[in-house]
Amino acid sequence: MNLSPSAQLQLTETGELRHFLSIDGLPKALLERIIDTANSFVVVGNQEVKKVPLLRGKTVVNLFFENSTRTRSTFELAAKRLSADVLNLDINTSATSKGESLLDTLRNLRAMHSDMFVVRHNQSGAPHFIAEQVTPNVAIINAGDGRHAHPTQAMLDMLTIHRHKASFDQLKVAIVGDILHSRVARDQVHALTTLGCQDVRLIGPNTLLPTAISNMGVSIHCDLDTGLEDVDVIIMLRLQTERMDSAFLPSASEYYQAYGLTRERLSKAKPDAIVMHPGPINRGIEIESEVADGAHSLILNQVGYGIAIRMAVMSMAMSGQMQQRQVMEAGQ
Amino acid sequence: MSMIMRQARVLDPQQQLDTIMDVHIADGKIQAMAADLHIADAQIIDAKGHILCPSFTDLLTYLRQPGNAQKGTIASETRAAASAGFSTLLASPDTQPASDSTAVLELVQDRAEQAGYCQILPVAALTQGLQSTHLSNMLGLNKAGAIAFSNAGYDFADNTVLVRCYEYAATYNLKIFVQARDAALSNGHMHDGILATQLGLNGIPVIAETLAIGRHLQIMQHTGVSCHFQQLSSAAGVAMVRQAKAQGLAISADVDLAHLCFTEQQIQGYASQYHVQPPLRHERDRQALLAGLADGTIDAIVSAHQPHEAAAKQAPFADTATGMAMYDIFIPLLLSLQDQADLSLMQLIAALGKQSAAIAGLEHMGLTIGAKANLCLIDPHKCWQLTAHSQQSHGANQCRNNSELKGRVVLTLRDGHITWQA
Repeated sequence: MNLSPSAQLQLTETGELRHFLSIDGLPKALLERIIDTANSFVVVGNQEVKKVPLLRGKTVVNLFFENSTRTRSTFELAAKRLSADVLNLDINTSATSKGESLLDTLRNLRAMHSDMFVVRHNQSGAPHFIAEQVTPNVAIINAGDGRHAHPTQAMLDMLTIHRHKASFDQLKVAIVGDILHSRVARDQVHALTTLGCQDVRLIGPNTLLPTAISNMGVSIHCDLDTGLEDVDVIIMLRLQTERMDSAFLPSASEYYQAYGLTRERLSKAKPDAIVMHPGPINRGIEIESEVADGAHSLILNQVGYGIAIRMAVMSMAMSGQMQQRQVMEAGQ
Repeated sequence: MSMIMRQARVLDPQQQLDTIMDVHIADGKIQAMAADLHIADAQIIDAKGHILCPSFTDLLTYLRQPGNAQKGTIASETRAAASAGFSTLLASPDTQPASDSTAVLELVQDRAEQAGYCQILPVAALTQGLQSTHLSNMLGLNKAGAIAFSNAGYDFADNTVLVRCYEYAATYNLKIFVQARDAALSNGHMHDGILATQLGLNGIPVIAETLAIGRHLQIMQHTGVSCHFQQLSSAAGVAMVRQAKAQGLAISADVDLAHLCFTEQQIQGYASQYHVQPPLRHERDRQALLAGLADGTIDAIVSAHQPHEAAAKQAPFADTATGMAMYDIFIPLLLSLQDQADLSLMQLIAALGKQSAAIAGLEHMGLTIGAKANLCLIDPHKCWQLTAHSQQSHGANQCRNNSELKGRVVLTLRDGHITWQA
């Protein structure tokens, strides 16, 4: 099998998941398996006893170098529903500003014999670095790195689409907003194209579209009205308000005028189109309240699916990591 | 010392010489060159299959002292340079403190002389502390040995300062070395292309280079100073230099070896060894750099050797230091370029000797009877591995550790003295 460097790092020799760093390069069958596994976990949240014993006796460390209450909570809940022991560490950059390098921080954590790190970091590639150089025997789950990847968020979006829409190859999907700074958008594109989606449209002004992104199997639209024509799925991205300070955009109001999803604009899409957003939403900046809370919106469903996806990925990566460890121990 | 290099392939761009012959060296000079030499008491070096050429002049290297001895020392890095066939180095002023005082210039030259491996010709800071606000004491620094002035990679926010630097330098006919990059547009981590998009790293567009080249060319014409452009990285940059040369401007240019050998693709998987400034660019840029070297647009090849301690490269990509340690892998990489884009070995050697020496203002006699014996003998077929043991540079940021390399310097002579022997 001719795998990309990213896929090589994430998969065991037999093709099982052992780290989950990015969707880039992962095979379609694996993404489908993640969706299927997550589908089976969706019901766990509705049970009286919300636990399965898949990670019993395992230690999961939530390593958040960047604040994110929402993402961290869903990872924590997912780990607990899998019966793991969970340690939350908020390592804001103060540890590094005290002179301790990321490498030293991680060496200390390695000494605690953890089985899995869930990592969020403001630098692209930080989870790759950790998986590759620091802790090869600990499963690394990327909970968002720089503007690179946020694979569990992308997969929960795929689960949402899967549960509410027909098969991926029939769908027209629009991703709207700040593609440039979005760690989710890149993984959404990888996931959608891998799963067979033929029509993925990225919509935004040139200042918020990354260089050469059209090479990733998507079409580019600068006009929201034409871009939304006939689509089945609309994924809105969050606009960080600091973008105005660094000259990416003139103002929030002008952005809303051009790219805000209003009821009128939503009418360009298919009548049964669904609206998604990774949250937290900026009402009146990227989306009209009536749309965010309306019948087309699946924004709150996404949160619940997020726990199921994270349970699926964590259990699969842990099992792949265990296999890898056995192979290595047998080899010694 | 009297020695004969027996049956070497003598390659000298100065004399346009490519012949197998014997070369006799004694009293620090080349005494005789002929098909078959027999001289009593001369040490015989079997150079069959080896290349004998003038030793190299490096127009850009970072020796790390003063200020960063954890990355490398003048002694360690000049030794590493000798092991790559260099005998003269133009040291970057980007030290701590910067080379903006005669004290620093003297320290650097003294340390190099004590070590004895290479002659160092300092390139002094164009502005005090490389801060781009106050002119350095150019005249005094020139008298203390500075052969050119450079602001290293630091840009000028204020054009009036840059204009005055060039006016002042032109007054005394001092040469400027330029690393043309726009600071704000260079505030990224790799070439601005699809891979940067996929890896989520901030891109550095080609206009970061071309805007700066255009600006320096205009100020150069306005002030009459003469400029040498360093480390071209893009096809568009090469085209601008080609056009400026065609217009008759007094400019020269170099490219570093990494940009001739590698592209952005090396960064796949966040390989921080390839985090360099200017960034490695697209394959078509690399091809344009090779073509620029072949047609004479680019005059010289530099090492841009930048040793780092291991920790400097062990972090998420954007947090790692830029630069690559080049001397240990220099010859294998250089030889790999032969016959790419119609580049001959003769042209490669000229870009490291005859032409780089001319830019440095050095006399370069090449291989001729009576010339100083500044030579290097290369075994192009030698296969070896770069390991902690065989490595000469202090730098832990080699891009080819533990891999099989082909081609090695057997012997380097500086004024007839052996400075490196494998």
